[in-house]
Amino acid sequence: MTRTFRAALLSSALLAPGVQAQEIVEWWDFLGGGDGVRMKQLISDFNAEHAGEIQINATTLDWGIPFYTKVQTAAAVGEGPDIMTYHASRIPLAVSQGTLAPITPEDLAAMGLSPDSFAPSTWEAVNVDGTTYAIPFDTHPIVLYYNKDMLEAAGLIGEDGLPTGLDGLENFNAALQTLKDNGAEWAIAQVTADGGFAFRTIYSLLCQQGGTIGGDGDWFPGDSQQKLENAVQVIADWVANGYNPSYTDYPTTVALFTSGAAPFMINGVWEVPTMTDLAARGELFEWGAIELPVLFDRPCTYADSHAFAIPNNVGKPPTAEKHAAVLEVIRWMSEHSLFWATAGHIPANLAVIQSEEYQTMEPQATYASLIANMVFDPKSIHAGVASALFEEAGNAFTAAMNGEVDAATAVAEMKAAMDRL
Amino acid sequence: MLTDRRKELIAALVLITPFLVIYGWMFVWPTIQMVTISFTNAPLIGKGDWIGLDNYRALLADPVFHTALWNTSYFVILTVVPGTAVALLIALMVSRLRGWLQSLVLALFFLPFILPVTVVYVIWDWLTNVRFGLLQGVIEPLAGRNVNVWRTLPWFMPGVALITIWWTNGFSILLFLAGLRNIPRDLYEAASLDGATRWQLFTRITWPLIWPVTVLCLTIQLILQLKIFDQVYLFAQGGRTRSTMVMVQYIYETAFQRNQGGYAATVAVMLFIIVAIFSVLQFQLLRMRGAR
Repeated sequence: MTRTFRAALLSSALLAPGVQAQEIVEWWDFLGGGDGVRMKQLISDFNAEHAGEIQINATTLDWGIPFYTKVQTAAAVGEGPDIMTYHASRIPLAVSQGTLAPITPEDLAAMGLSPDSFAPSTWEAVNVDGTTYAIPFDTHPIVLYYNKDMLEAAGLIGEDGLPTGLDGLENFNAALQTLKDNGAEWAIAQVTADGGFAFRTIYSLLCQQGGTIGGDGDWFPGDSQQKLENAVQVIADWVANGYNPSYTDYPTTVALFTSGAAPFMINGVWEVPTMTDLAARGELFEWGAIELPVLFDRPCTYADSHAFAIPNNVGKPPTAEKHAAVLEVIRWMSEHSLFWATAGHIPANLAVIQSEEYQTMEPQATYASLIANMVFDPKSIHAGVASALFEEAGNAFTAAMNGEVDAATAVAEMKAAMDRL
Repeated sequence: MLTDRRKELIAALVLITPFLVIYGWMFVWPTIQMVTISFTNAPLIGKGDWIGLDNYRALLADPVFHTALWNTSYFVILTVVPGTAVALLIALMVSRLRGWLQSLVLALFFLPFILPVTVVYVIWDWLTNVRFGLLQGVIEPLAGRNVNVWRTLPWFMPGVALITIWWTNGFSILLFLAGLRNIPRDLYEAASLDGATRWQLFTRITWPLIWPVTVLCLTIQLILQLKIFDQVYLFAQGGRTRSTMVMVQYIYETAFQRNQGGYAATVAVMLFIIVAIFSVLQFQLLRMRGAR
């Protein structure tokens, strides 16, 4: 890219775009659920505000491998969109495939954003070898949902109205036992039929012990293998002790919580709208969600980020006007991400989190504290959602959580499989 | 006379050219490409370096490939002959019905066949749900506990096989029904007059005359089931995929998840060879038996 081109790009970003012809921005996302509805709202608000200047033409595609394969193939022949949503955890693989166009410091400045606009771990997740490849829109960690009525009956609600006495593995397990003794059918609901999904919890617990997952050649550095076993054992024990149902899939996990059969649930923040909607119809108990308790040494929670990325459309680089329009889309979305927070996601833009509106949004404001303690997927082409790492986690953890094999064997098999990649 | 023949040839050529062009372009050329890629270390998109037989050597030593090979064979054993037998039984029963009742019953058996695999998956996933599934009422007395069919290895393949038979049987039933209708009624009448029993009617008339349709059904089923993918992929998602892997799923996973185009092509070539050998062998064998 030449300097003049960059200059042209920057100036067009700063100029009022009203004098130019209307730019159509082709947009692809993978947001099909409750958050998809909210994104459509944001897009239509954007289009209304930019009538005659910029119009987003949005297409929603299937989440997961289908989306990423389509983006990869489309960009390779110059047929990709102008902008797309991307999981931060998938960026290393995308960069190795040449799918993403870098976002320059000038681009960042044109959007009025800087690395300081985001939590350090979130910003780190969208950078590869010092180059930025996406702008984080949100972070979506897992949280601990709780049934306040049942916890109160078991004496687990503190004076501040929040759950108490859950820190430390022994205390947490004692709390689970208390809940069972108090008549709960199950004490906690955590997906146990899908080890790839459970990876989020297990990886959090690994991080809480200071363990990490590395990369090629050294997947479990130091004593991380032992620590991973400990993490898997936590859930295996819950299942063995009858706290957590075995072989339970995602929809069942949610149903067990919302029906009051399990007073705790570990799940992604994206289930917040489910609870909000049920509560609004008066069909739910008093509920809340908090950062994962510290079961081991320090607070740590798995998170990923929905980010905006610009595909590297081979042979068809965007015009300066188009590029400026795309930057305006990202800037506007970032600025208006408060509405996105109603989908449960934590806005990546720190200014939005600090706003008064967000601070009064519950339970979002309560669990937002966790952004100081996030761990993202390891930076490897084999990691990220719907990746080889998730697949191997599915194989190893599904068997171990349900007591088919012991944790040590499962983790050793996982290591062997990762080493073969 | 001669000119007529030439004219006919030209006409024939003109008529089959579109087919040949499309077939060559859409089927033959990609097949050649697939074989070429299998000798390279290409990623999913783009070119790779020539590495000779390395992919094939790696494949033969790959434990997941062995699992996939075994699971695919196991699935074929569980579905092809049993599925065809069930279809024949149902067709025999349906053919005894008359009028609108026959149409209704046939429609009931054919209905699952028109469902997309995702719908089949959702229906059966719901029916077998480990906590709330209706079928747990049957499973619990049998196994003594609630079983997550899709996370219990010995249950997995038989489960998928059962659903596949339920899902795809309608087509075989139709074929058999057409075959049964082609058998002249007078054969049965003549045999009955000669005092043949029902069993004799079936073994001496129905079975030999329906044999060509049976061969067709078995061949279609064999090729179809060797390519098993969607059901296994959907039911195994997030679980122990390495233990429930089948061949086409392995192609998909290596190509699209691991970005190893060359290796995926190698698995595809192996599957291609296996399907070709089995189809030719089976068709020849069954034809010989039929001719006897």
